[in-house]
Amino acid sequence: MFKSLINVAARRLAGAIPTVLLLSMVVFIVLRALPADPLALLLPPNATQADAEAVRKALGLDRSIVIQYLIWLRDALSGDLGNSIAFREPVTRLLANSLPATLELSFVGLGLALLISIPGGLLLYGARGTILENILDVLVVCMLSIPSFLWAIFLLLGFGVMLGWLPFSGRVESGIVIPDGTGFLLIDYLVTMQWGYWQNALSHLILPAMALALGFSPLVIRVLRSSLLESSDDHYVTVARQRGLSERQIILAHMLRNSVLPTITLIGAQFGFLFGGTLLVETIFSYPGIGNLMVQAVRNHDLPVIQGVALVFCVTTLAINTVVDILYVVLNPKLRRA
Amino acid sequence: MSSSIPSSAALKRERPPSATAEALRQAIRSPRVVIGGAIVLAMVICAVFAPQIAPNDPAEQDLLNMLLPPMWAEGGSIDYPFGTDSLGRCILSQMIFGARVALFVGFVAAIGATLLGTTLALISGYFGGWIDRVISHLVDLWMSLPPVVLSVTLMVGFGTGVGNVILSIVLVDWTRFCRVVRSEVMVVARKDFVSAAKLLGFGNVRIILREILPSVAPLIITLFTLQVGIGIIVEAILSFVGLSVPAGVPAWGQMIAQARNYMYQAPWGIILPIIAMFITVLGFNLLGEGLRVTLDPRLRKRNI
Amino acid sequence: MTDVLSFDNVTVTARMSGRRIDVLRDISFSLGQGDIVGLVGESGAGKSMIGRVISGLLPDNFSVSAGKVSFDGKNLLALGKSERRALLGRRIAFIPQEPLSALNPVRTIGSQFSEHLRHIGIERSRHRALMIERLTQVQLRNAEEALQRFPHELSGGQCQRVLIAMAFAGEPALVVADEPTTALDVMTQAHIVRLIAEQQKQHGTALLFITHDLRLAGHVCRNVGVMYAGDMVEFGPAASVLKAPSHPYTKSLLAAIPELTGPRRVLPALADHMPGLGTFAGLGGCRFSPRCATKDPSCIATRLPPRMVGAGHWVRCAERCEAAGNAQLGDLISLPASVADAPAAVAFDKVRLSYHASRGFLGLRRSRFDAVKSATFSVQEGEILGIVGESGSGKTSIGRLIVGLERPSAGMIRIHGQERTTGAVHLTHRDTQLIFQDPQSALNPRRSVMRLLTQALEVGESYVPESERRPVAEALLRDTGLPPDCLERFSSQLSGGQRQRVNIGRALGAKPKLIVADEIVSGLDVSVQAHILNCLLDLNRKHRLTMVFISHDLAVVRYLCSRILMMHAGEIVEEGPTEAVFSNPQHPYTKALLDAVPPDNADRPWPPVLATDSAMSALR
Repeated sequence: MFKSLINVAARRLAGAIPTVLLLSMVVFIVLRALPADPLALLLPPNATQADAEAVRKALGLDRSIVIQYLIWLRDALSGDLGNSIAFREPVTRLLANSLPATLELSFVGLGLALLISIPGGLLLYGARGTILENILDVLVVCMLSIPSFLWAIFLLLGFGVMLGWLPFSGRVESGIVIPDGTGFLLIDYLVTMQWGYWQNALSHLILPAMALALGFSPLVIRVLRSSLLESSDDHYVTVARQRGLSERQIILAHMLRNSVLPTITLIGAQFGFLFGGTLLVETIFSYPGIGNLMVQAVRNHDLPVIQGVALVFCVTTLAINTVVDILYVVLNPKLRRA
Repeated sequence: MSSSIPSSAALKRERPPSATAEALRQAIRSPRVVIGGAIVLAMVICAVFAPQIAPNDPAEQDLLNMLLPPMWAEGGSIDYPFGTDSLGRCILSQMIFGARVALFVGFVAAIGATLLGTTLALISGYFGGWIDRVISHLVDLWMSLPPVVLSVTLMVGFGTGVGNVILSIVLVDWTRFCRVVRSEVMVVARKDFVSAAKLLGFGNVRIILREILPSVAPLIITLFTLQVGIGIIVEAILSFVGLSVPAGVPAWGQMIAQARNYMYQAPWGIILPIIAMFITVLGFNLLGEGLRVTLDPRLRKRNI
Repeated sequence: MTDVLSFDNVTVTARMSGRRIDVLRDISFSLGQGDIVGLVGESGAGKSMIGRVISGLLPDNFSVSAGKVSFDGKNLLALGKSERRALLGRRIAFIPQEPLSALNPVRTIGSQFSEHLRHIGIERSRHRALMIERLTQVQLRNAEEALQRFPHELSGGQCQRVLIAMAFAGEPALVVADEPTTALDVMTQAHIVRLIAEQQKQHGTALLFITHDLRLAGHVCRNVGVMYAGDMVEFGPAASVLKAPSHPYTKSLLAAIPELTGPRRVLPALADHMPGLGTFAGLGGCRFSPRCATKDPSCIATRLPPRMVGAGHWVRCAERCEAAGNAQLGDLISLPASVADAPAAVAFDKVRLSYHASRGFLGLRRSRFDAVKSATFSVQEGEILGIVGESGSGKTSIGRLIVGLERPSAGMIRIHGQERTTGAVHLTHRDTQLIFQDPQSALNPRRSVMRLLTQALEVGESYVPESERRPVAEALLRDTGLPPDCLERFSSQLSGGQRQRVNIGRALGAKPKLIVADEIVSGLDVSVQAHILNCLLDLNRKHRLTMVFISHDLAVVRYLCSRILMMHAGEIVEEGPTEAVFSNPQHPYTKALLDAVPPDNADRPWPPVLATDSAMSALR
């Protein structure tokens, strides 16, 4: 089995490199070649003529787009993604500070989504043929019609403002020290056993993660339920019933295992959807992640940051896809002997 | 080989033929299609007849009546049934005119994404080989960026404006169409009746148009309907970030973004456009779902 | 001694579209200890439904409305769900059809077997030893290793052995085998049937053997019950029912099965087909009467009680009708003559067809699989050539090579003198047509029968404008024996046999000179099969149509073809006139195949003591 896993990983990696390159090229061209005056997007408003000249030289704006890209690539490969116009800081530092926050939020969001959708899917399947199924179905369609940023607003207004149960701004209460560590607060505080701070971080995560989860769950519920429905008619399920196994045993020991595969495929395919939701959710909750960073950069016309964030999103999504692919091979016995 | 009993009696089966008229008849019996269709129709009427329906001019600012509550609340007035925003503009009128942008963007973008995605899916799924590999790599490449991030990036490059919004939605969402339709095309293309058509001398174009396209048409119709809802959401996201329509044009996303600043004092300003968006997208989702179930024979309630 | 299983006037009713339909009527039979009873009938006759009554897993809207089912003295129908489940797997076991899909594909054999053992109450510590012992008993090689395998890593025969081991693991009193060999190759079928018989004898289990293959049932079962449209029309000792059938349906069924030995006569084919559920309501009396030769009005109105016609042998038919159905012996068939001095219609010269797959690290290594190794043969104009082999032998590939859907990787193919070159597929030869095996996949569900039959007229030289196509369609209906009113129907409204006829009709529409028929009658009921075979013979005679008939069924091939090719693992192992090859086979594979087919005569011993497993595998 390990041979096929390494195979998959190697193939993915081999494919990922050109993908990242190509995508960075596309983003670069969109942001440099399309706007009428890219220089305007690369300079702070109070720049002097000398500043403008320096930037023009450094980025090769007077030369062809290909050369410009190669200059950017050369700098990027040595770790220099430029400086943020609005914050006057290297882009890489900004990214390093905010990426862990978004990853933490996304994973907690994914976890919550699974907690909601697996029982949800089972419930919807179990209710088949009854009126409850119709009600739940309509509920799921309604959930599908609410994107994560709307959930974010509801949750913020409801649980944050009106009920005041949970905080709705930032990662931790202001004044709390953010430790130097992995950047994942839940891990860092756990390791140093600072329970109070750990709780605080968690409570700040709940509302935004819930918003992401609620936007994502209906997709997973759908896929789980339809795959359970399909496998209920499968020959081996009928045969298992003939052997005297109870319906509950069959669902848990047989059907769920088969339904895991299409569910994982969906999660892999749609992870970008969840991930992209962080853009607005973080903005609404003032959560300092790369989504928030990107929105601010857009408002500030801060081109280097936009480019850097787009790149990071791309690499992260590819990494997640690779993990999902590997997981799929592990779980699907038909693919194990490559 | 004739028999004494009329064959039509012996041949009686439960399911009627799959003609379009029959499919439509089935569709009308589905509550989802009816309700979804009704909502969509209502919204279309809103959008088309906006100037007649809206009580006020959405751009007109009444600085004496800023942040007015809706008429059923204390302090509200009949002149502004849903209240006003921070610049004194009528919320109801903005919502009604916002439907125009939403539906226009949604429909046109859906048409574009459908055409682009379906054409490439047909070519890719039918011919296979290197064409399929190239197109699939392109789709994979495109899908390596989360859709929201990609559309925001494109809008930064293109600049604001309804046309650009439509363009960026088409450029992002065609991949989803392509992927889903391609798998279905591949299933149909492997069927023996496609080989049979080849043996009868049918050319490739004829096979794609006459044998394959009708089989995937129900899927395309469903995806199209759902895509309109997605387009509306994307437009709202973009206008929330300030990248959609110019400031003067009313759009739901913009209303939500602006009302966010006054969320605590005047929550209706943000809730009402949210409701409008939700109901519209719900309508398209219901319609799309209903069509999918009625048009796909496998999903119909089984008789035995 | 109490019967292990007995059905007493069991009736199953279904509620469909507001009506109540009797799906099974007054079924009565019994099984003693160690007994083997066969339930035979065509698809849709209700034999599997009887199995579902026993397991209690009837579909929604179906229920037992009358009668009693006793198992070991207990009333099975009175048991609650959990009590029934306690019996299943332990005292009553099932051997399912389609063994490859009968096991969960994502769990190992061992884990599923173990789950079963847990269910029947065996403690976990004994599982491993017991599983290995049982799997060895069913002759599964490398039993220990098999426990770690997944179902898709085993062959159909191996999966079935596992299922048989699981069925007998609980020492059940009753085993219900529901078409256990239908999906398997002829030789595997022989092995599996012998295995089931051995296990049954060893454990003294009562066996209910459900099959559509009358010959098979005759060899395996002591008593046989014949099912038709939900009725059991005849029941008795196998020898009695098969050698001296009383019911007209049984007689016609037996007459319509092609034989491997004896003179070749035209198969008498019954008109029409077995009624489906939707028409049961209109048939209150004998459901076979519309097709019966007597057409006695009392048969249509009233149901007849069982009438004894021999020791333990009863039939639901009036005495006066017994003469009916004594089918006239058909005319002797003359072999399709080939046109003398004509160039070969098909000439293969050292043709190879290979597929390449990428394996290994990063897909860099390429391996080659030869579907056809090196085929050299020819087909004369006007003759019907049979190609026989099991699945994977390459016979379908040859068919596709002939019509041009595949291009040879090496060697030369000439069709009607013209060379087919290697390289990209370019199909312009409409005079060679292929009739596909699976009518479900072969007919576009969105085309009406009219548009399907006239599909050839839509392009090319035979283009005919739409308004003028109808007469062509009607002529094709006549040629294939389809009823005139089905032009407006769609394939979903046709029966399997009718779909296959539309398939043939569409191919004929292109006015071909050569037709390749790929397994077109497998899966069809016997009477429908007879129709189609006769139709093909007609076409060959009338239109001088050259045919290549691909099948795994030796008797069918013998009926139709004057010359045959035997294929095995991509090679032609034997070739010659049909009678010569069958009566005097040279190649060991041909011999083994002929031995593995249940003989026409129920007295001859079968399954034979075949060569052991290892010898068989040497041939693969």
